Amino acid sequence: MNTWVILGAIVALVLMRLRKPSMLTWAAAWWVAMFAIVRYGFTVPVPISVVKLYMGLITAGLVAYVLTDEERIEQVCQPVLAFMTQKRFQLPLLATMLAIPALFAWSIYAGMTRDPQAPAFARTVHPAPPDEITVHDNTVSIGTADNPYRALEETDPEAFGARLANGREVYYANCFYCHGDIMAGEGMYAHALNPIPTSFQDPGTIAMLREAFLFWRIAKGAPGLPEEGGPWASAMPAWESFLTEEEMWNVVLFLYEFTGHRPRAVEEHH
Amino acid sequence: MRVPGRQDCGRCCSGVRWMGALVLVLGVALFGTATAARGQDLESGKVTYDKYCAQCHGDEGDGQGIATPYLRPEPRDFTSGKYKVRTTPTGLLPTDADISRTIRLGFPYTGMPAFRENVITDGELADLVAYVKSFAPAFAEQEPPEPITIPQPPPYDPEHASTKGREVYESTGCGACHGTLGRGNGASAPTLVDDWNVPVRVADLTKPWTFRGGGTRIDIFRTMSTGFAGTPMPGFHGALPPEDIWAITDYMLWLSGGPQERVEAPYSNVVTARATSEVIDLAAAEDLFADAPPALFPLFGQIVEPGRSFYPAANAIQIQAVYNRDEIAFRLVWHDMRAETAGVNAPDLAVPSWNEQLAEAGASSAEDDPWGAPADDPWGADAAEDPWGDDAVDEEAAADPWGDDVVDEDGGDDFWGEAGDGSDAAGGEFSDAVALQFPQQAPEGVRKPYFIFGDAQNPVDLWFADMAKQEAELWTGRGSLAVVPGESELPEVVSSYEDGAWVVLMKRARTSRSSISFEPESFVPIAFSVWDGFNRERGNKRALSAWWDLYLEPLERPSPLPPMAKAFFGILALEILIVGFVRWRRRRRATGATTESPAAQAA
Repeated sequence: MNTWVILGAIVALVLMRLRKPSMLTWAAAWWVAMFAIVRYGFTVPVPISVVKLYMGLITAGLVAYVLTDEERIEQVCQPVLAFMTQKRFQLPLLATMLAIPALFAWSIYAGMTRDPQAPAFARTVHPAPPDEITVHDNTVSIGTADNPYRALEETDPEAFGARLANGREVYYANCFYCHGDIMAGEGMYAHALNPIPTSFQDPGTIAMLREAFLFWRIAKGAPGLPEEGGPWASAMPAWESFLTEEEMWNVVLFLYEFTGHRPRAVEEHH
Repeated sequence: MRVPGRQDCGRCCSGVRWMGALVLVLGVALFGTATAARGQDLESGKVTYDKYCAQCHGDEGDGQGIATPYLRPEPRDFTSGKYKVRTTPTGLLPTDADISRTIRLGFPYTGMPAFRENVITDGELADLVAYVKSFAPAFAEQEPPEPITIPQPPPYDPEHASTKGREVYESTGCGACHGTLGRGNGASAPTLVDDWNVPVRVADLTKPWTFRGGGTRIDIFRTMSTGFAGTPMPGFHGALPPEDIWAITDYMLWLSGGPQERVEAPYSNVVTARATSEVIDLAAAEDLFADAPPALFPLFGQIVEPGRSFYPAANAIQIQAVYNRDEIAFRLVWHDMRAETAGVNAPDLAVPSWNEQLAEAGASSAEDDPWGAPADDPWGADAAEDPWGDDAVDEEAAADPWGDDVVDEDGGDDFWGEAGDGSDAAGGEFSDAVALQFPQQAPEGVRKPYFIFGDAQNPVDLWFADMAKQEAELWTGRGSLAVVPGESELPEVVSSYEDGAWVVLMKRARTSRSSISFEPESFVPIAFSVWDGFNRERGNKRALSAWWDLYLEPLERPSPLPPMAKAFFGILALEILIVGFVRWRRRRRATGATTESPAAQAA
């Protein structure tokens, strides 16, 4: 939310109310304030099509509000009629009558000469995993499997450390070119990928997931994504062709260790 | 954190009794971290180093980390005290600020990322710099060096840059390595090695966004003045007057279209094919392409499947496209250090496995790695266990982490190929090549074929042009394992190499029954591969791109004027009708009823 835009719109409306505006000005002010909030009030921009939809609803609402009362109709119509008929408004009227069609013509021109936009595809951050996957003839249940080596963290720190070291080697032999040294998706090839590699530092990624989910994404890569969960042009390889199961589980340990995140299931045990 | 300054501060604050505990806490928070302790705490520096730096630069700072085999240029050996980007004259140590700058901004297009404040705080950075310096005895032995002063830059003048700048560039000998037009194709470019005898690639001066030391005017002036220690790039501070260094700087910027406010790669994500009514003749197509908008796409190494290419030669390719009712044509341009027009190339050539190369280079051994039993490893040396059936390995006695090319013939130590000693300058075993990749059929849903030569369900077609031949080939890929000669229409090709740039024109019928058709006003996924024969790239060892989009503009681009006029006059007429009606009603009412009304004035 963009607090300043919203506060500004509310303050402007309140100030205006105190000055007892005419019904037309009041309705117009509401329309502008609503537009400002819908268009600029959100940190993540609302798509133009959605803005249009909302403004259509708001316009209909304002029209309905005006039409429910004869006095309001009169208040709105009077200045409009005066603008159209009185002599002192002749020049502004002429200008308005030319400006409106010119605006439409310009929007047609802009639409027809716009550079083509590559088709955009939605990215599913956490695509729905299958119940189980088969990796190197072993079946792994995504819903229930835990990292088989996670327990070592408490039972045998030395063995756990050795697995982390192996995970680190696997990461730097295979992953860091894209996912980066900082694991923020900033590897030296990240700029050349479309879609860009996932940031593991982002609290919305691996911190929200169980280790078996990561194992699935690593083992099956982009080719293993379900039909209903993109990105379908992802360059993520199916690493099961190149890595052992142990190496994949080890690199999962390393991802959590390096970023300081905890996998979801383990946190729930505490 | 162990900061001695905190205790001092605590003592001093507690002496001021009337301010009490709150002020003490505040004092620690505000001043504790800003005391002289920062930049001296080697232990804190080591913690940061071990987490973020040791993977590449090694636990001992010798540049031999676990990631080193995958990186060219190699991570810097800090024990040498040689730092690439400095503000100090050639031969001197860098300042602390120089080291900090490199850590903060990184080196673009290398394995050195930018570590910003959200990853390494200013305090941690100071400690890290101290720790990194502790690897080289020279820092303790020598006085801190004085940085050069960079004079006020003269105004940039394209005319001056392209004449005087070029003159100084040439007379200084920059072209010998960087090439006359700065494309990294100077005559000696293929022979260059750094102080550790590792081959280095000459900077392509037309791409300032790839400059290690930064691509602004000031950055380039500094690099020109102080050079890159440890590499063949000399510093000209003291050797050339500042105005000459500015002239060369500006010539370099002129090559890439002048100085930019922000140095950013001008990459596109869609290329638009211009419609034309003319016949497309590749032998005389330069005029046809003059109006087609160029799009630059980034390339990267094929680092996944066997034949892994960790240091491909090409990092970008420019494409233009035109089409008429019958045909579609593409113009591809990329920079190449040297044209390889002899030898062979094809997308299905076998490439030795990476682990084979590593193992023979002695960079990794099975004993070191309790989990990486080579027999289980598809990249491993054991061909029988290799799912990709990589039989080429046996013939090649390779010790080359990028490929297999260590010079059986030359007996040298040249990772670049055969030409290092100039004995085989005419070209080697493998020719340069390029390929356009399209899905064989337009994707019906959202899923595209896997970008590395397609997949079993979604085949791709490759329009392949081997620079050793004057005819194109068609290949069909169903994954890296299954690249076979294609069966649909062959594209035509014309290629040429000049001043460090390959220019390749390709065309084919616009529609096809067994391969993809290019329909006006539609988007078609497009991807690229570039093979540098000199870098011994062939088969799956190559530079490649992700999927991007090709858009065919309408065959006849309609003029926007008629619909604009229609909308304008239509709406205007409607307005006149409304206003006229309102006025007519008012007038009638005013004359009909003589009562006073506001509308009466209007008439």
